[in-house]
Amino acid sequence: MTPEQEIVTKEKQQIQGTEATRPGRYYVPDVDICEYPDRMMLWADMPGVTEKNVEVMLKDNTLTLTGTVSPGLYNNLSPVYTEYNVGNYFRQFALNEDIDESRIQARMHNGVVEVELPKREHAKPRKIEVQPV
Amino acid sequence: MAFLRFDAPDPFRNLVSLQRELERFTRNPAFSLGPSGYGAFPPINVFDDQDGTVIVAEIPGLDPAKIDIASQGRTLTIRGERQREAGPEPSGYHRRERPFGEFSRSIQLSNDLDTSRAMAKYEAGVLMLKIPRAEAAKPRQILVNAG
Repeated sequence: MTPEQEIVTKEKQQIQGTEATRPGRYYVPDVDICEYPDRMMLWADMPGVTEKNVEVMLKDNTLTLTGTVSPGLYNNLSPVYTEYNVGNYFRQFALNEDIDESRIQARMHNGVVEVELPKREHAKPRKIEVQPV
Repeated sequence: MAFLRFDAPDPFRNLVSLQRELERFTRNPAFSLGPSGYGAFPPINVFDDQDGTVIVAEIPGLDPAKIDIASQGRTLTIRGERQREAGPEPSGYHRRERPFGEFSRSIQLSNDLDTSRAMAKYEAGVLMLKIPRAEAAKPRQILVNAG
């Protein structure tokens, strides 16, 4: 984790598996998931997706992230050279029941979705005092 | 050259045709980038528009004030650093896929562009650089005097 490391390019991954009914490629957003004593944090890179076009849905312990891009940014542009394609983003995660679903929060900033998943009270590590008899 | 238009009513078909157009020009060998070829970060897409050249790159999570775009002659250099969100040290990582660190990419532009009038915009993690053509390079009508 040295601060001077350089970023390396990697290609966007298209999703495998379930075929989408809507046309267009879907990509898998890069995700970081971190665990803290009282919560899990998830960040997904979805460049080109604005707050209005991102959907964070929780159903049956499955967290679904969907982001749509608008091709309008490319109006009146004529491609000359391309290295990446654009498309919508989709990714799903199975949550275990430690997450308190009613307190999940999501924010979007500069193409990054941040989802805060607080743990249920009983899932937090609790130190148990040992009393002398 | 065909300019694309994507504000017709069907957004899904628009996205598909955009994807097809972008695919056609993948690593177009007719275009020479100069110092940093394919594989450098960030991946860029280069377009023509009515006024000049437009370069688009996807770099989410940057602080726009810290993006360093410099031009020297025909070379444009985009430099910056992507830093992790501030916060406490986590007790563990379940996924760690997002790239962080410094990046620097140089692009060779064509001669007829005026980099002193270049403009950059950073929105939703997408950096868009518009570099207009120099005045002298614009098509100009030359009037013919009679007699």
